[in-house]
Formats: sequence, C-alpha cells, structure tokens
Amino acid sequence: MSVELLDDLEAGELSVEFEGEEPEVVLEWAIERFSPSIAISTAFQTDGAVLLHMTYAIDPDVKLFSVDTGRLPQETYQLIEQMRERYPKLNLDLLSPDAAAVSRLVGRHGPNLFYRSVENRLLCCQVRKVLPLQRYLGGLDAWITGLRRDQWATRSDIRKVELDHDHGAIVKLNPLAEWTEDEVWDYVREHDLPVNPLYAKGFTSIGCAPCTRPTSAGEDLRAGRWWWESGAPKECGIHCAVETGGMEHELRALVGEDE
Amino acid sequence: MLPDVLPDSGDRRLTGARPSPSFNDAMSKPAPRATEAPTLDLVLKRNSIERLKREKSPLGILDELPALIAAGYEDVPEEDIVRLKWWGLYHDKPKIGTFMLRVKIPGGVLQPDQLRAIGEISNTYGRGEGELTTRQNVQLHYLELGALPDVFDRLHAAGLTSAGACGDTVRNITGCPVAGLAHDELFDPTPVLEEAAAFFYGNPDYSDLPRKHKIAITACADACAAPEINCVALVGAIRDGEEGFGVLVGGGLSSVPRVARDLGIWVPKAEAVTVLAAILDEWREDLRYRVSRVKARLKFMVDDLGPEGIRQRVERRLDRRFDDFTLPALPRPSNHLGVHEEWVGVPVHLGLITGDQLIGLAELGHEVRITRQQNLVLVGNADVDALAQLGLPVDAGELRGDAIACTGEPHCNFSVTETKSRMDGLVRLLEDRFPRGSLDGLRLHLDGCPHACAQHWVGDLGFQGTTVRDDEGKRRQAYDVYLRGSLDRPAAIARPVFRRVPSDELDDAVVGLVSGWVERRGAGETFRAWCDRTTDDELAELAGREAARERRAA
Repeated sequence: MSVELLDDLEAGELSVEFEGEEPEVVLEWAIERFSPSIAISTAFQTDGAVLLHMTYAIDPDVKLFSVDTGRLPQETYQLIEQMRERYPKLNLDLLSPDAAAVSRLVGRHGPNLFYRSVENRLLCCQVRKVLPLQRYLGGLDAWITGLRRDQWATRSDIRKVELDHDHGAIVKLNPLAEWTEDEVWDYVREHDLPVNPLYAKGFTSIGCAPCTRPTSAGEDLRAGRWWWESGAPKECGIHCAVETGGMEHELRALVGEDE
Repeated sequence: MLPDVLPDSGDRRLTGARPSPSFNDAMSKPAPRATEAPTLDLVLKRNSIERLKREKSPLGILDELPALIAAGYEDVPEEDIVRLKWWGLYHDKPKIGTFMLRVKIPGGVLQPDQLRAIGEISNTYGRGEGELTTRQNVQLHYLELGALPDVFDRLHAAGLTSAGACGDTVRNITGCPVAGLAHDELFDPTPVLEEAAAFFYGNPDYSDLPRKHKIAITACADACAAPEINCVALVGAIRDGEEGFGVLVGGGLSSVPRVARDLGIWVPKAEAVTVLAAILDEWREDLRYRVSRVKARLKFMVDDLGPEGIRQRVERRLDRRFDDFTLPALPRPSNHLGVHEEWVGVPVHLGLITGDQLIGLAELGHEVRITRQQNLVLVGNADVDALAQLGLPVDAGELRGDAIACTGEPHCNFSVTETKSRMDGLVRLLEDRFPRGSLDGLRLHLDGCPHACAQHWVGDLGFQGTTVRDDEGKRRQAYDVYLRGSLDRPAAIARPVFRRVPSDELDDAVVGLVSGWVERRGAGETFRAWCDRTTDDELAELAGREAARERRAA
C-alpha cells in the first residue's frame, strides 16, 4: 500500500471546491482518501466533540488524539470518560510528553515555572504539548482540526484543505472552517454531545489547569489564559496554537528549536 | 457531474498538468450548491474581517495612533493591530512590539529626497534594514509603535504614503521600471499609472474590497510587469495609430494560482482608470465574493463568469460597448539590467538594501525605480563606480539580478524556512559551478510559504519552503521544487515536480537540473522550454531524486 500525498496545487483547488460544503462532505472525502493514516486532533473543547461525532458516524475507526500534558483539569478527564461511554469503539490516542524531558524541565525550573516568565511558559508548552504532538503528526498523512475562521482575524483565511508546511507537509483538514461559535454550540445541543463541565463554570477556553481560568461576561476572552503575562507575543494569549503553526513560530523565535 | 476541478487548459495553462488520482477522488464528492447572491447578514456571519472593517474603518486607525501609544502596545486590541495593515504595517516576528512598514511606491518611482527619507526612517526608527519587493515597494523593519507618528510625518512630508499597502485595498500599482526611458516602448504609460494611483490610493471606496487587489500598467515592448499574474493589467498596445490598452483579468498566485485572461476589449488611454474602477465596482459590490476570503479575489469571479461575463458586466455598468481587441503575443519579459544610454539597471542581491545605501543612492542625485525583480534602475547616466562603492555593483550578473526570494526568515510570521539566506546560497553555488554568464536568463524564485510573494509558481526554477521530519523526528527545513512554470510567454503555472527536498540536499538537485539544461539545451533554449520537452523521469535522474508524486508507506 502506498498513499499519494496532495501537492499545493491540488490542495488549493480542492479548498476552493469545498467552500460552501458541509463539514461531513470534507470528512467523507478525507477519510476515503487518507484512512487509516488520518486522525482528529482535539483539546476536548466543543469543536473536537462535533468532529468526533461526525466522523464516528462515517467511520468509527478514525483516530481521535490529544495530548495529556499531565496538568489537565479533572473535568477534562471526566469528559474523556463520558466520551468513551458515548462512543464505545472510540479509537483514542492520548499522547504523553516525554517523561525524561518533563523531569528535566521540572527539575531545572520547578513545576509551576510558567508563572515566572513568558519564556518559561513557552518552554513548558513546548515540552508538555508541542513536542508530543509533533511526534505524533510525523506518523500521519492527514490531520483534522477544529480551526474556525471566526476564532480570530489571523484565522479568517483558513482553508478546509491545506498542506501543513509546519508539520512535514501532511494534509491539514479544517472541516468546520466556515462555522461560527453559535453553530458549533447548536450542533452540540442538537446532538446532545458530551461537553467539558468547565464551560458551565464560565471557562471559554480550556487548556491546562494552572494556565486557564473562567472569564466573566464582557471580559476579553484572552483573559482566560496566561492572564498574568506581560510581554507575551500578540495573539499568543489564545489564538496562536500548534494547529495554526503560530505557537511554533513564536517558540522558535523566542525559545529556539526543539529542546 | 462535478465541474472539473482542474483549471481548464487554455489561458490558465497548467503546463504539464494531467488529471491525477487526487483530482479524480475529489470528483466523487457531490456537486457544489448553486450560487445565489448571499445576503449581507450571511457575509457578516461568515467573514470576521468584513465585520471588523464595518465596525471601524481600518484607514481611520491612523487618527487613533496617539491613543494607542498612550495605552501602550500591550493594551492595543488585536483588532486594531489588524487595522494597522491598511497603513502597511505587519507584525515582525516574534509578535512582541515591532512592525514592518511597507511603503507604497507607484510604479516603483522614487526621487532622491524620497530615497533619503526612507533611508533615514530606516536608520532612525528601524535597524537600518530594508528590502525591495516584487510589487516595487520598500519594506522597513523593527519600527516600534511609539515611533509611528514620526515615521508617518516624515513619509508624508516626502510625498510618500503607505495607505493601502496591505489589507483589502488596491495594492501598489506596478509598471515597467524604464517607462518613459526606453526607445522601444510603445508609449509612456506613466500618466495613466499616476492617475490610477491618485484615484485608488487611500480612496475609502476602494479600501474595503473583498480582498487585496493588484493592478499592473505597462506599455514597454515586452510588457515586463508580469501582467499575467495581476488581478487586472492594462497592457499597452497601438491600434490604428492610437495608443491604448488591452486588458488582462483574473491573474494571481498565492495558494490558488491563475494566469490572467484577455478581457477582449480596447481601452483608450483616457478611459483606463474608468475601466479599472468599473471592474473593481462589479467585484466589490457582488457579495458572492465577500462570504469567504478563500474565494474572494477577482480571479474567482473570472473563474465564475469568464472574461466574457466580466466584459458584459463592465459594459452594462458603463452603458457602452468597447471595441473588440485581443492582445498580440508578447515577447519574453526583460529585466532591464545593465548600463544603457538612458538608465542603469543594478542587481540588488536578494533585494536587501540598507538605510545607508538608500541615503547613498539619494546622494548620487538620480531618480530611481524599483523593479519587480527586487532590483534598481537609476535614471540617466549614473556613476557605476559610485554604485559599486555603495555595494551595488552593476556587473553582479543576470543570475543574481533575476533571483527573487520572499521576506521570510527572520521577519515573516508565515515562512517555515530560510528564504533570502537560502537563495544567497543557491546563487553563490551556481555562480561557483558554472561559467560567468552561462546561466543568464535563468530565474530562481524562492518562497517560504504558499503565499507566493516571490512568485515561485512562475519562476523558471521555483522553490517553496516546507518541512520534513528526519529519522530522529527532528524538524528539518525542506523545499518543494517547482518546474515548467514561467513568466515567459505564454505564462504558465509550475508544478512541484520534486517534493520535500531537505535543504541540505537541495544544492545537488539544483546543480543536477541546471547542468542538464546547460548540456542539453538548444541554441537560446530557455530553462522552461527545456523542462517542457524533458520528461519527469529524465529530470529525476538529473536531480538524483524520485520525481513528482511522492509515495510513502501508509
């Protein structure tokens, strides 16, 4: 078996063809094309729940993956258990950071290093999240993300089919690109999908427990993450992520290449 | 049955393209929905940039600069950072407080006092760096928020602007860098270019376009301004002794490249700006092109309606018929380098230019034009020795002059690889391996991402940055190698014939390919023509790599 990968010319044309199409159309095409070397990335927020639900109906064998940084809130683990009940054939890859790298990091800088400087926080993100994710992506031909255009201005141009040049030029699929936050929640309610209990407690963005907090109505969403920081790169408060390549670009500029 | 996802052959011309498995697979999905004109509500729901533009006009952000500075960079809302693009400002990398400024220079024409102003701004407020761009702009880096009011004061005092240099605007209007100088030009289109720039730059009606818009206006003998890759290009022609233009529409590169198509009309000089505006009006008022930024640029309207449909709309809007006119076949575009009677064309290696060099050029006292190939033209009889002393030797060579690399590392937030520095390596390698002058006419274009600022789709040898993981899982920089594209006529979009070539293996592949051309080319045969008649397998053997469609185990 061999898989022919897309090139940029093909990906560009496909991204135009898929405009206006429902997410399931993109997912069906992608699963047909790339299975079994395709997986859904999730941080256990609502986008991931929607993608899992859609994908599971098409092919329950498609993998769902996430990084267990070791610092996730208890509520997220509860949600994982709920998902396992809801989707009995759930094919979940829960990735762990490299134990030796975490030991070195914590030994050198302490367990709560991220509160002390932006560089420390980025270093922690790198060891606990970015590197495990990069390693995993290295074994895939395509990954599916929950990136949406309405999440932030720099996401306004994302395509449903892209080549991910930050990650070895594998294919990146963003089936929910056109959806709004409201449409995601409507879908969640309509299908009664399991969601992270933290949303009910005022969290708007869910990540590691020490670095995430609830925001109050009217407060900037960015206040929900790394709220103590000053001098952090713009957009990195919430909008620069591994999914966009943005976090790695900042990491390389401020911390350096892989540890 | 689906519409063919392959761009049709004809004018868009994907040389070497053939239906591939991926396209066939794509065809198994359902047909797209019929495209009814969407409502404004839908546009605003789907497109956050349309919301952002309506909440507050981006051009108005200049008046708010003092308040933003008083609040401090940390507290500038990210939405306002986006609006700053409309004044040519992008974040440098990392995004921690300094900006790139793109100065918009119609036709690339600069007077000595303007060169001096830009050089002094770079030295005073930046770090003395600058670069010439493929749209004949100058970009400066590392400007801090607090310096911007002074920067804009000095720019404006020198008669320069950055209004609409980025954002959903009419970008810098490009032209031939020897307009008004060359004996063989059809006529001097400079007055038309200036009229268009005066009308569009900073014009609020044309600063809320569905997306960026690129115009070229050229009347040199070989239409050197790359009209085929602009959204709209006015290409000079003479008809029955009258000076005027043919029109190309719908070109553009980025992630979905298109070669522009002939609109089929004759436009008298006096009506040139009217026609440009009418095309823009049809596009900007059609909400179909505001729902998704992925399908917003004019090229998609041309995809949908064809040049005939665009012509029909323009004629209806202006309530008149234009005469039929088809542009004649054009010769190979020139780079205008070298010492000529009326000008001196100077290669600028990698397009990099310092504040001191800009000031030094100003002192030579010549009008200067920036070229599409990131080089300079000095008007008149410039002192070649003085140029050499500025680090701008006129005899640096065609290969160097024609090579284009995007801004990339370390400034750009999109690039995944080195760009200008990697191009430097490639140029030096080829200069070292091949006799001087033997590679004249070979155009190397290198980009760090698919946005194609350095036009890798139409280089003779195009490179686009990407990454690979090595056996130990380490990230390595790599490049896709694009072949069979060119701005030689007819212009063609390249395909990535070699994929994910690790950066440290790129030299061998390039030397192999170029050697093949040098050894096997016919008299005057261009690299692109040679690639066109050479099979992928032959190219693969020369490059020492597996060709085209990479396979790997599932």
